[in-house]
Amino acid sequence: MLRFLLRRFLWFGITIMTVMTVSFFLMHSVKGGPFDGERKLDPVIEANIKARYHLDWPLWRQYLHYVGPFNLDDNRALFAEDSDGDLQPWRSSNPAGQEVKAFGGVFAGDFGPSFRYKDFTVNEILAESLPISMLLGTLSMMFALALGISAGIASALRPGSGIDLSLRLAATAGIALPNFVIASFLIILFVFMIPLLPVAGWGTIQHMLLPGFCLGLVFAAYIARLTRTGMLETLSADYIRTAHAKGLSPRTVVLRHALKGGLLPVVSYLGPATAGILTGSLVIEKIFFIPGTGSHFINAATNRDYTLAMGVTILFTVLVYTLNTLVDMAYTLLDPRISLEDE
Amino acid sequence: MAIPQGDSRWALSPEDLKRLSKEAKNFKGESLWSDAWRRLRRNRTAFLALVFLAAFGGISLIAPFLPLPSPIALSLRDEAAPPQWMWEEPESLPKPPAAGTGMTAWTANLWNDGWRHRTMLSVAVRDEAAAESARARIEEVAGRKSAIELRGAEAVSEDGLSKVAYVSVPLLRTDTPDVIPGETDIRGNVTAWRYDAAIPEASPIPGEPPLEVEPDWRVVHSLELKAPDGTPFDPAQISTWSIDQRTRKVELFLARQDPVPGIGSWIVRYQLDRAISGPVVTVRVNGQLLAGSKPIVESNPQDAQIVDARLFEGIEHDDIGRQLARSFEADPVPGARFLEARHESGYWPFKGLVGRFDDLLLHARVHVFGLWQTGNWMGTDSQGRDLMSRIVWGSRTSIIVGLIASLCSLLIGVLYGAFSGLMGGRIDNLMMRIVDVLYSIPFIFVVIFLITVVNEYRTELEDNFGIDREKIFFLVIGAIYWLTMARVVRGQVLSLKNTEFVEAARVIGASTTRILLAHIVPNVLSIVIVYLTLTIPAVMLFEAFLSFLGLGIEPPKVSWGLLAVDGTSAINPLKIYWWLVVFPSLAMGTTLLALNVLGDGLRDALDPKLRGKS
Repeated sequence: MLRFLLRRFLWFGITIMTVMTVSFFLMHSVKGGPFDGERKLDPVIEANIKARYHLDWPLWRQYLHYVGPFNLDDNRALFAEDSDGDLQPWRSSNPAGQEVKAFGGVFAGDFGPSFRYKDFTVNEILAESLPISMLLGTLSMMFALALGISAGIASALRPGSGIDLSLRLAATAGIALPNFVIASFLIILFVFMIPLLPVAGWGTIQHMLLPGFCLGLVFAAYIARLTRTGMLETLSADYIRTAHAKGLSPRTVVLRHALKGGLLPVVSYLGPATAGILTGSLVIEKIFFIPGTGSHFINAATNRDYTLAMGVTILFTVLVYTLNTLVDMAYTLLDPRISLEDE
Repeated sequence: MAIPQGDSRWALSPEDLKRLSKEAKNFKGESLWSDAWRRLRRNRTAFLALVFLAAFGGISLIAPFLPLPSPIALSLRDEAAPPQWMWEEPESLPKPPAAGTGMTAWTANLWNDGWRHRTMLSVAVRDEAAAESARARIEEVAGRKSAIELRGAEAVSEDGLSKVAYVSVPLLRTDTPDVIPGETDIRGNVTAWRYDAAIPEASPIPGEPPLEVEPDWRVVHSLELKAPDGTPFDPAQISTWSIDQRTRKVELFLARQDPVPGIGSWIVRYQLDRAISGPVVTVRVNGQLLAGSKPIVESNPQDAQIVDARLFEGIEHDDIGRQLARSFEADPVPGARFLEARHESGYWPFKGLVGRFDDLLLHARVHVFGLWQTGNWMGTDSQGRDLMSRIVWGSRTSIIVGLIASLCSLLIGVLYGAFSGLMGGRIDNLMMRIVDVLYSIPFIFVVIFLITVVNEYRTELEDNFGIDREKIFFLVIGAIYWLTMARVVRGQVLSLKNTEFVEAARVIGASTTRILLAHIVPNVLSIVIVYLTLTIPAVMLFEAFLSFLGLGIEPPKVSWGLLAVDGTSAINPLKIYWWLVVFPSLAMGTTLLALNVLGDGLRDALDPKLRGKS
């Protein structure tokens, strides 16, 4: 187990470093920088802004600054004109200057200031939006598991029956239809035609129902499929026949004995499903105007707020990687036939 | 197989040999493919899906041949029109010239500027009689028949004109020289051009060399407004303005005005930091769109040249709007005032082979259907574009993107997987570990980040390397979706390497190439095909997803994602534009469903374990 975790951690480091380095250099290779392209800035203001974001440094220094715990910040974040009219950096010792909080670097969990939301750091934006996305994601995951597993069991118990066929078709439709299409139909249905739910926003449980459902539906469909296959396989196994022969009630056999084996494929799917829910939340948050991380990411990408976009990318990479590792560990705990050293 | 000689037990009598060889000749083995095909046909849903896909794919493939209206030609409507069953009035359309004489030029015009291009003239009128006389004047000046639509204006102008007549004059230019289709690319923009009788000098002389401009713009530097009665508006009165870069819409929201200025032409002078072709400018007062007061887009001198120069790139000799403006000025029609002329056209040509194919189809269309085209059977969107045509063309884009990107992923995945599987050992281990690492990255974020950055270099990439947004898109999608393919192919190759039949082939003395081509490739092929059919819908979904977020296909092109954007943005509590949601969703949903069903069916049909059963 320890070896497995160590190896995972090593690959994790490589992954994160790759993602971070590639996106950093891509971001900084963009001509002009994030503040150009609008009206021409006053040179003094431009110099100030560049200094504020350290864009005047050589690239390697910026990279080390962004990544590392090295304190390269000499607090010359702002410029001021001295008595001769020359530009002089403001220092923290400067009575007129502002104390600039030292920037910690990504390894210290600091993603730096946002390029667009001038008064916010990326961390502040993430701290504000991540709980919302997490809540939405958890809700839709729970929903997907509940609906998917029960549908999967229902269709596995009577393969070939009408229920099975209709559930399978529904699952295929759920996989095939984009969630924004489902969302628009549901909005028309449940908001305008039968006014039950609010159209958009965030806060109450009513706000969460529709987005959670739309986001979870695809995964419910996949989980239903996987559960059906897994259950069909286990239900025909010898130990299930033994359980039946012992005279256990069908409910006990299905829920206590068959379900554990039948859910194994679902467990291995949870990793990709988490990544998928994060992805899907981009669209769902946009449709329902939910102020989550996904909508911030899209805004950041379209508004060229590189630090924010990069911060979200790195954060989600970490998240998905960790969850994947957890899922793999859970899988070995559930299935004694598989050991972590095999891989 | 070598038979030991001299051993009588192995000897065959000539009769036996004859019988055996006859038997062998008569024995008809069933190949994997014919067996799979038989089983697929048995699977009714999968077969139905196949038929549907063939039909739908065929329809969207031959979209230029179909008598559909242009999917991007705007009309002056401000509201989406519901579906209506009708054909377009054929008299209002330009007749093709006599066979042989100007046919090429005529189709080339169609090709370059859309299926039909026309000038929409708006005239403020007092009543229907005035509208008719205005129309008579227009037909007299333009020299061809026109269609008229009379609508009430929301505000009455000072000279008591309460209605707006929209007269659409088809343009026909037999005098344009033959243009090679696809080369007169006006960057695929919808060229909407308007000018006003009041400012005839603002337009440049036709025929002046066009200016080179970058079709990109971001910010309005200065803005100046003039009401129809000539009073200038203080820019401070503009409460807010918004520019949508994607839809090229400039919206001005004016502060409260009492009374609401009458109908007439607004003069909007603006300076963008870069030029844009065909911006759509609307003015709202008190939150209300001023009907019949389509603003005139004019700008600083150098920009004015740019705007109109782009126009004259596309239309060289047609100057009906100006002629009409002069005519109305010199000899006023009682009860009517000429407001503006607006040229509408637009088409995006595919280049290269597809472009030539499309050109052929377009020629065929003109020969078969003439100028007949369907009406708005599925309604129009809020900008008056025909929805059915948009769906067909959008499906075409999405299907082509799905196919090409899947093939990209197929190529990368198969090569990578097969190499890894064949090499085995340490190389295999390393290569698969890399795939594992890539798997654990949430790619969508990286891709969106990448696309954002690459967008900064669009013009350079396009001018220097001919790489446009679609190609980047193909590459990016192909680069993500190869992972599963690589894993599957590698696993298959690895297990095939050690199967008995491969070993048997090796024992017989088959060469490595033969083993690869005759034994391994066909066996891998089936699973590759199955994954391909499942990758295509995933890629199409991804394209729709990215376009939905504004990062994929861009207007004026259409794709499913953009249709979905139109659909979701049309959802509002006041009026449900159901056709904007239902029809695109149906097209998208059935195609994706059919692809998924077909993929599942193929998987069952090609599964060797199920071979011979059912």
